[in-house]
Amino acid sequence: MTDTQSTRASTVAELTIVTPEGVFFRLPLAGPASRLYAMLFDIAIVLGTVNGIGLIVYWIFAKTPGFGVMVIALAEFAIGFAYGALLEGFWNGQTIGKRLLHLRVIDQAGLPLRIEQAWVRNLMRVFDALPFAYLVGGISVLSSPLMQRFGDRVAGTLVVRQTPLAVPGEEFWTRQKYNSFMEYPTIAVHLRRAATPELASLIQDALRRRNELEPYARREIYRELAAYLQSEISSFPDELVERLSDEQYLMNASGILFGDQRRSRVQG
Amino acid sequence: MILDLERFQAQAGPRWRALESLLAALESRPDRRLNPAEAEQLQELYAQAATDLNRVTHGALAYELRQYLERLVARAYAELYYAPPMRSEIWQPRRWLRILTAFPETFRRQSRYFVLAVLITLSGCALGGLAVRYDPASVDVLLPADYLRNPDQRVHEEEQGQGRHLASAQTEAAFSAQLIRHNIQVALLAAALGVTFGIGTALLLFENGVLLGAVAVHYTQRGFGLFMTAWLLPHGVFEIPSILIAGQAGFYLARLLLHRREDRNVRQSMREWLVLVAGLAMMLVWAGIMEAFFSQHHAPVLPYGFKVAVAAAELVLLTIYLLLIGRREIGGEARSGVPSENR
Repeated sequence: MTDTQSTRASTVAELTIVTPEGVFFRLPLAGPASRLYAMLFDIAIVLGTVNGIGLIVYWIFAKTPGFGVMVIALAEFAIGFAYGALLEGFWNGQTIGKRLLHLRVIDQAGLPLRIEQAWVRNLMRVFDALPFAYLVGGISVLSSPLMQRFGDRVAGTLVVRQTPLAVPGEEFWTRQKYNSFMEYPTIAVHLRRAATPELASLIQDALRRRNELEPYARREIYRELAAYLQSEISSFPDELVERLSDEQYLMNASGILFGDQRRSRVQG
Repeated sequence: MILDLERFQAQAGPRWRALESLLAALESRPDRRLNPAEAEQLQELYAQAATDLNRVTHGALAYELRQYLERLVARAYAELYYAPPMRSEIWQPRRWLRILTAFPETFRRQSRYFVLAVLITLSGCALGGLAVRYDPASVDVLLPADYLRNPDQRVHEEEQGQGRHLASAQTEAAFSAQLIRHNIQVALLAAALGVTFGIGTALLLFENGVLLGAVAVHYTQRGFGLFMTAWLLPHGVFEIPSILIAGQAGFYLARLLLHRREDRNVRQSMREWLVLVAGLAMMLVWAGIMEAFFSQHHAPVLPYGFKVAVAAAELVLLTIYLLLIGRREIGGEARSGVPSENR
């Protein structure tokens, strides 16, 4: 059970930053797939813009098509490089594609990236794109602990994931009026001590996804979790457990783990 | 953990939300500048959020709350410790024109890498030239394109076909754009190949040198020396130095990666690399225009002597530009450059 948690944690690459105040926080790094999608978005936008400009230029240079071709070819080339560099430089590390996919380019030190860095990492694309389809850059990302392509390594930047997060809301089960586990403070304290953070958040996840799970799957998962808790962690008296459904058992356990402790301490 | 999450969240929630809205306001400003009251508020809310994060981190049970607080602290940290560039620095046209003097200055400051690029290219030239001189069969290997192997035919075609070129300045315009794109791409690659610790840059320069040497000797042997000089030099005097400067930028980058110094220096050094790349791109725009509109016209329309004279004049101007421009401003720049580094 704890395995799923730990693999989930280990596949997500992170950058840990220790601030001068001694606080550390972690930034989740963006994987190659989401970056590829963002890039495809951006390529589509650039091509759209270039073709739009192209139509206007053709119209203006209708009598001298050669100059039209010249203007378009150069504009396309310049926009190709400047699009990423200018947007990232002036829009806090995001192109349109990156914004859509909640990615952001930042400095390695956790700070916003600078304009020079944005230019360097975008000009270095000529190398990362080699020999085709960003093979060099892709290998670089996969082999780098910070998921950096060569442009990022040179510019000292990295791409982080920034999905919007809200303050976690209150969970319905911590609001129960009466928790029968509170009547056994010794066992409750043991549960709080013995439960690992992974196990606690597994219980929380299982309860939170109550309505997303198929009835059969839900019953099985709750049964296994409750049985595991009861046999390995906290053996509440049988006469109590028999009266509770597996779901109620987990809600009570979660209430013990996450809820208000004062009552149990007062009672204990 | 001895923490009542529910109460903790209820107490701290308002200040987290206050920090969130302050950050949202700051992040939406392009210059990200704080007024003193905001700075004070940000500092205070940041310190509180960091403390809250510390408490939750040690508790370790509130996974989501910790994620949320980490994100909040990360955002506040970024605003608090980031010195935004001066707005005036970015939008003043004079700053953009500064590239014109910054380029030759940087070129001179990093001239040893330029010398290295020249030496590698020259050794390539020597190899290519000697190979063709003493082993004519090597032409087939060294010169890839068919037209380069048969100077007689090529010269004939060039001199005959000039009417076609003259007929359309249109094709020349399109051609020049192609040349500019291609050349900038190759030069940029040479500059970027610095990440291979300069090996890629050296190979590219060497190969370029071999090609140059082989073509030069091959055409001269057949008695087309003057034609070739007039054909290649009007744009070559810009094109060849710019590829050398690309090599210079590449070696400079390699050196930079081998000796990473403290952060601020790296930022300054990246600026040097960018300036070199921007400068060589400007040179290549000129080279592309010359190649399409001027180099392709031959005698009798444009006498070879005239073309060579134009090339020589260009070379003199370029040399003066690279060696002399911006020299007097160095002292002034050093003084004005300092405050822009600090907030």
